[in-house]
Amino acid sequence: MDNMDRRFIPAGVSRCSTRNFLLWLAPWAALLAFGLYAAALCLIKGLNQTHMNNRFAFGLWIFLDLTVIALGAGAFFTGFLLYILKLKELRAVINSAVVIGLMCYGGAMAVLAVDVGQPLRSWFTFWYPNVHSMLAEVTFCISCYLTVLLIEYVPIVLKNRKLREIPSFLVFEHELHKLVYVFAGVGTFLSFFHQGSLGGLYGVLRGRPFAFREELGIWPSTFFLFILSAAAVGPCFVLLTTWLVQTITGKRLVKPQVLQSLGRISGLLLAAYVFLKTVDTFVWLNRTTPRSGFLPAQYYAWKPFGIWILFAEMALFLAPMVILLLPKLRARTGWLVSAAVMACCGVAVNRFVLTIQTLALPTLSFDRFLHYVPSWQETGSFLAVVAAGVLVYSISFRYFVLFPEERELRTGPPAAPQTEPALAGR
Amino acid sequence: MISEKKPGKISRYGMSVDIDKCTGCGACMIACAVENNVPPAQEGATDLTGLTWMRVFKVDNGQEYPAKQSVYFPMMCQHCGLETPCYLVCPQQAVDVDPATGIVGQIPGRCLGCRYCMAACPYHARYFNWWDPKWPAGMEKTLNPNVAPRMRGVVEKCNFCHGRWHAAVQRAAEAGLKEIQPGDYVPACVEACPAGAIQFGDLNDPSSAPSKAAKDPQSFRLLVKLGTEPKVYYHSRREWARRIGDPSQAPDGKETSHG
Amino acid sequence: MQNTRRNLLKFIGGAAAGAVFTPVPWRLITDTALWSENWPGIPRPLRGEVTARYTNCSLCPAGCAVRARCVGGQPVSLAGVAGHPLSRGGLCAFGVAGHHLPYHPARLTQGRVEAAAGALSKAVANCNVEGSRKQLAANLDASKAALMAACNPGESVAVLDLRPGRTASWTYRRAMGAVHNGLYLTAGGPFSGAAANPLAEKARKSWLAGESACPTEAQALAQQRGTDAFVCEPTRGSDRHHDGVSSGPGGVASGGVAVDLTKPRTVLSLGAPVLDGWGTPGNVLAARANFRLIQAEALESRTASLADLWLRIRPGSGSTLALGLAALLDAHIAQAVTVADAAAATGLTEQQIKDLAAELTSHGPALVLPGYDCPEAWALNQLTGAWGETVVARQEAPVPEHWKNCAPVTDLAAVPDGAIRTLIIDESAPGDYVPWNAIRRKLVADNPVVITFGWTPDGYGRHSLFVLPTAVYPETLEDIPAAIDSPAAVFRMAVPLVAAPPGVVNPADFVARAVGIDASNALRERADAIRKAGHGVLFSSADGTSRPAAQVPPDDFWKALLEGACWMDTEGRRSAPPAIDMTGPEARPSEDARLPLVAVLAETALATVPPSPLMTKLHQESNLRLGRSRAALHPETARSCGSAEGGRAVLETSLGRCEILVVVDSSVPPGVVQVAAAPEAIDICGAFARCRVAFL
Repeated sequence: MDNMDRRFIPAGVSRCSTRNFLLWLAPWAALLAFGLYAAALCLIKGLNQTHMNNRFAFGLWIFLDLTVIALGAGAFFTGFLLYILKLKELRAVINSAVVIGLMCYGGAMAVLAVDVGQPLRSWFTFWYPNVHSMLAEVTFCISCYLTVLLIEYVPIVLKNRKLREIPSFLVFEHELHKLVYVFAGVGTFLSFFHQGSLGGLYGVLRGRPFAFREELGIWPSTFFLFILSAAAVGPCFVLLTTWLVQTITGKRLVKPQVLQSLGRISGLLLAAYVFLKTVDTFVWLNRTTPRSGFLPAQYYAWKPFGIWILFAEMALFLAPMVILLLPKLRARTGWLVSAAVMACCGVAVNRFVLTIQTLALPTLSFDRFLHYVPSWQETGSFLAVVAAGVLVYSISFRYFVLFPEERELRTGPPAAPQTEPALAGR
Repeated sequence: MISEKKPGKISRYGMSVDIDKCTGCGACMIACAVENNVPPAQEGATDLTGLTWMRVFKVDNGQEYPAKQSVYFPMMCQHCGLETPCYLVCPQQAVDVDPATGIVGQIPGRCLGCRYCMAACPYHARYFNWWDPKWPAGMEKTLNPNVAPRMRGVVEKCNFCHGRWHAAVQRAAEAGLKEIQPGDYVPACVEACPAGAIQFGDLNDPSSAPSKAAKDPQSFRLLVKLGTEPKVYYHSRREWARRIGDPSQAPDGKETSHG
Repeated sequence: MQNTRRNLLKFIGGAAAGAVFTPVPWRLITDTALWSENWPGIPRPLRGEVTARYTNCSLCPAGCAVRARCVGGQPVSLAGVAGHPLSRGGLCAFGVAGHHLPYHPARLTQGRVEAAAGALSKAVANCNVEGSRKQLAANLDASKAALMAACNPGESVAVLDLRPGRTASWTYRRAMGAVHNGLYLTAGGPFSGAAANPLAEKARKSWLAGESACPTEAQALAQQRGTDAFVCEPTRGSDRHHDGVSSGPGGVASGGVAVDLTKPRTVLSLGAPVLDGWGTPGNVLAARANFRLIQAEALESRTASLADLWLRIRPGSGSTLALGLAALLDAHIAQAVTVADAAAATGLTEQQIKDLAAELTSHGPALVLPGYDCPEAWALNQLTGAWGETVVARQEAPVPEHWKNCAPVTDLAAVPDGAIRTLIIDESAPGDYVPWNAIRRKLVADNPVVITFGWTPDGYGRHSLFVLPTAVYPETLEDIPAAIDSPAAVFRMAVPLVAAPPGVVNPADFVARAVGIDASNALRERADAIRKAGHGVLFSSADGTSRPAAQVPPDDFWKALLEGACWMDTEGRRSAPPAIDMTGPEARPSEDARLPLVAVLAETALATVPPSPLMTKLHQESNLRLGRSRAALHPETARSCGSAEGGRAVLETSLGRCEILVVVDSSVPPGVVQVAAAPEAIDICGAFARCRVAFL
């Protein structure tokens, strides 16, 4: 079995033994099984299995969906930078970014299928779309983009050393490769819109002044802010995952300049984002809110969502911006990775504030402030997505070339199996 | 729009609620559930997961005895007349604004259960079926044949007993009249209120109670500055109660319990 | 074209491509949505002809007129009858969903027998309580001898009627009159059987000594009875029932005390839930604008929050407040009770009480309404001069003469302890719930036989040997006694809108048959007697018309009553006013270090009136009402007892304990536990009691 398994591993790289690999997969598979059980409970028994309620119509799932989609933006943005802006060094991470994107978007769609009350009616949005609705736009774009990601994933699979022995696969992959620029462009266009629409989801809620923003054109300002934050944080997430994989496997997968390049791009975009977000916050607090009949103080009058959360959000973008714009700090892995983590947390806080805090805040004068804690079924379902992501990524990393520079960075000839240390990681 | 434009006059149905008269008895809540085939609570349901298309709150002025004053506040869908939030956000057009009546209706058969409309509604007027409906054995016989029961996973809300409007139109047609008579279409809650605190009528008809309430300086609506143009007018002689509609000026009382 | 595979495939392909341009596939796609729109298990409403039927709601003495919308004969919704002279189109939350009661999951459809013990029980245990009504009656005929023979000398058989004033009540009185040791009992609310208020005792003695401010008629009546133990009707003073039957000397029935809400300019309610299920809701709300309402109550009830003035008094001090006000109106009472006593007991200032008394006299006519704990209110009405105007004694609707040879009405509290061997409790018609201990003490200590007739086993069924199932509104044919706010005598019936299930018993018929009386036609006989008396008007809900009863032929009269019509007496036929009574329950529970809190009952309607399963809308799916087995505590009180919202706790009084679910509510005063009434809670609390709360 070990030999058969070895035949699928790409040439020129070393991977751990099959046994160790299975040991690595086992806990994630168990987590996936548990999570699938939790999701099955929600599908079979209904959404009363969650702790969502009529006031907290959206909960953990939507918050995490928005976050992973923002983090998965690295897929489209890296593609855009590589194929459209021709930043060639990013070729080192594009495959990994595509897999991460696929996992993020696929997971989000899977969770959405459990989150809606009638999953069998999912096709209604395509059949009876409402042109005014941001969610219709999100559904269309995400579905299309997931298709694009699948199409972009196919060549990665087909390039596997055993699979390319099949001639029709090879031809297909070759033809597909010619269209890569088209897909990159389409993917960018779709992502631009759905990242924006996800922001627009909340920005158009005139009934929720905490989320509501004034329009620029036909879109609320959160439309643009979401695109920008996703574009800024996507590369950070790619950077972070690459570093994580390098650390776990103990291998060098990319040249350090690649990570620093990603960091620099992030830093620039973060700067733009911080500036625009500050302007937006001022307008929102001083003009939009009073026009809606609310006072800004009412937003932060409730424990635990005091004014600290606004500052925390800004700090989590400001600090990485500074770090990533300073070459000296960027060159040091510790600072670089910390900045990436902070930026990812910042985007999570930003999505959290717009999903959870929006719904927790009272709108009617006699509403109570509400608390929400997800149930284990909700947490489990989401962990299934994480587990599935790790499983697919692990399998992809083992059998497909996710990091083209890996072979080049290995010192010495490809190691014979028997010289591999047993616990060298993957 | 899904419904067809009806010939004849265009109505804008609204309500006026006198909160000085409401005693919080809850007859409107029960009558609404009877009319619209809303099931009783499942075990484990709470005030946040129940189905109460019409719901009465007790609101006070935030003071202690003897300065404490309370009102009972019936809340239902406000049938927003402008920029109807739920209508604009539903991805598959499961919300229908009837141009002939101004009633914002819900199409449960179209609803996906994404609950975006519930996040959009500032009046918390929309309710999700977290469970499959279950009636005690035999009680299904008491269901109203004019309203379809819903299944789990869809959103529902007050629709001013739209089925009764259809029935009134039919009666008028059978009687050879072009329009329905004003008293012939009355939602269940209005009919049930023993105090007569809830009045219903056409806002386009100057003689109707809601029309008069609209012009009364002691009337107010909720969250007017959001720009949704709700069609439910509340009325009170008490100044503190009239500030309930304005969150930036409202008295400090929050919904209290168990009056 | 040749029949080749290729050609076939071409044809299919072409057809598919062409079909895209027809409506067929697009329609089919929409239609496939149907299977996602209808789950198995979602019920389909009945179809059928839509008709309207009229009845009167028998869930409480208001007896509001009801128009039922029926589909294929099955009621699907109930509404009030607009323009009805008594109910004025009003129907409360219970009445609106009354048609659900036959399907209530707690409904009893089969009789139950508790484990029998002792030789006595065996005799009655031979009665087969499962099975048809005929079988039951036949069996009980055989056991009748056993039933009567089972009593030792000096012991009684008794019927406890929880809703007196019905025709069925007369049947019970006739049945008990036919048995040598039969007793017909009524009881009054949660405080029944409690000790007298010592202050009231003092006041009464003083007043008697002074013999002043006592209406002449009352004095005469007292002399006629030859006793100085005045009995006031009703001693019960509860909100809704027992305007009830009370017999004066010679078995002359009177309809009890009633109020005329069109008359007062000031209403002082000492805890009566005037705006929340008291009297006839439609009538109360129609009259509301005419008077100033002052509510004296410990908790912020609905009535307190909606009143023109709410005086927050300490729990159980209503009777002392009444006495204090009486002291300001009558010098003799003032010798025994002072305003200072009242102020000390209630927590009000003396000035507030003086202002109140001044308002009652100067801004009259006044009406003082008792809550659970102060029958002195009725006496106060006499002192303010309101008798005959806002408070009247009302006669009952006429009864056949031969019925009047029957057992008298006896108050449960007046029965000596340990005197009853066999007790039959009629819980079939909703009425107040009397704490079990007040009943238990009247039973013999060893092996008493308790038979309860009820629609659910959760009331007295918990304490009974036998529970026999009865029909429930709207299956029943029964008349509804007049409400407290009906100054004229009335007669109306709840008529069956749906068939009762097999196996249910009509309690009055059952008891009558057991003693050999045929009362199966009692309602018709009553109607005939009313018609024969020749006065009053008949209002028909179906067409909204009123006719003098004398002009209606007897058969039509009965037919109209079967269609929900209502007979109302015209003015002028009232009994003599009763005498003043100032005996009452213990005013305030005495201090007890072990029981630091005071439990006060609330939401009594939910405990005593059968609720539709939809009532969850009011207490579970919203915070509008406190649900059964829930108790509200002030946040500080909850903290001092060691827990917070939603905690399970044990409520303990000197009479026992029950489990409750705690809700935190800052509108409840500290130190008070607002307990939602339920039989278990009433059993241990009465109207109020010292208690403690321990969290589990």
